[in-house]
Amino acid sequence: MPARAATNFLMMLTPLPQPGPTPPQAVDANEEDAALVAAVLRKDRKATAEFVARYADSVYGYIRSRLAPRYDQVDDIVQDVFLSAWESLTRYQATGRLQAWIMGIARHKVEDYYRARLRTPESFVENPEVQAGPDEALRMQEILEQEELQKQTRQVMAALPEKYRLALLWRYWEKASAREMAQKTGKTEKAVERLLARARAEFRERWNRG
Amino acid sequence: MADIADETFMESLGDRVDLSDSTPAPSRLKSRIYSALVERQAATGALMSLTECHEYGGELCVFEQLVRLAPVGEAVKSLNFCRVCHARVLGEHINNAPIYWGGCPYVQFKKS
Repeated sequence: MPARAATNFLMMLTPLPQPGPTPPQAVDANEEDAALVAAVLRKDRKATAEFVARYADSVYGYIRSRLAPRYDQVDDIVQDVFLSAWESLTRYQATGRLQAWIMGIARHKVEDYYRARLRTPESFVENPEVQAGPDEALRMQEILEQEELQKQTRQVMAALPEKYRLALLWRYWEKASAREMAQKTGKTEKAVERLLARARAEFRERWNRG
Repeated sequence: MADIADETFMESLGDRVDLSDSTPAPSRLKSRIYSALVERQAATGALMSLTECHEYGGELCVFEQLVRLAPVGEAVKSLNFCRVCHARVLGEHINNAPIYWGGCPYVQFKKS
């Protein structure tokens, strides 16, 4: 057998590497998700209970983190996420994880909440319980502990007027652009940028108070 | 100038600070969600009958078992029995409600 023919023959025997193979665990997980979705769509009440038990904690934690410190709407929004998920479950594609799909719905609900709250023409009332402190220079570099950074961020965010807090969360944690925020709230981009500038300045001021 | 610094600062915080909350959903909320979902499902047609649920491996509660074994049609076995069960009322209003029998979703939510 000529050398070249032998090489071609060997190549035929060698399995070609697959581009970006899906790990078997991921395939199993996707199949498991698809099976759960199919069962919920068949109106299997036990599968419906499993659906709630499996995802309620992550949706709840996410919604809480995005509405903190106002928790009065959290339960209703979490329930709304699940009802919307049920209504659009036929559109779920088993190519991605069910958890990610549900969290996508949760993100939309949070955006809806932000949109509604930021549209409301309220005055920016300061939280009365927040005490003014001495001014300090911005001291982010000094905060080495991530835990402390998180604690301070949470405290400052919690003390901000709601509109400022929601604008900052939407822009910097949900990564929405000012243009997107403007489109969704029916404001001009300039108005959103002004709101963000005021929110940032307020955040900085409270941050510096420590 | 200060605003540019604020913008950079906020972007950095948004990237570095995880604001996630690990508080688990209260069992009474899970119960409410489950009840609302099953109610929606029942409003658009019959639920999967208890016979089928059992065949698919679903664990039925003691009341559902009774209905499954009763000499009644599949239409009756497809009704939403949780709607009239006291476990639902307790589960929706009390966290970790005092209900303990197996196969009950409202008990499952206390554990999840």
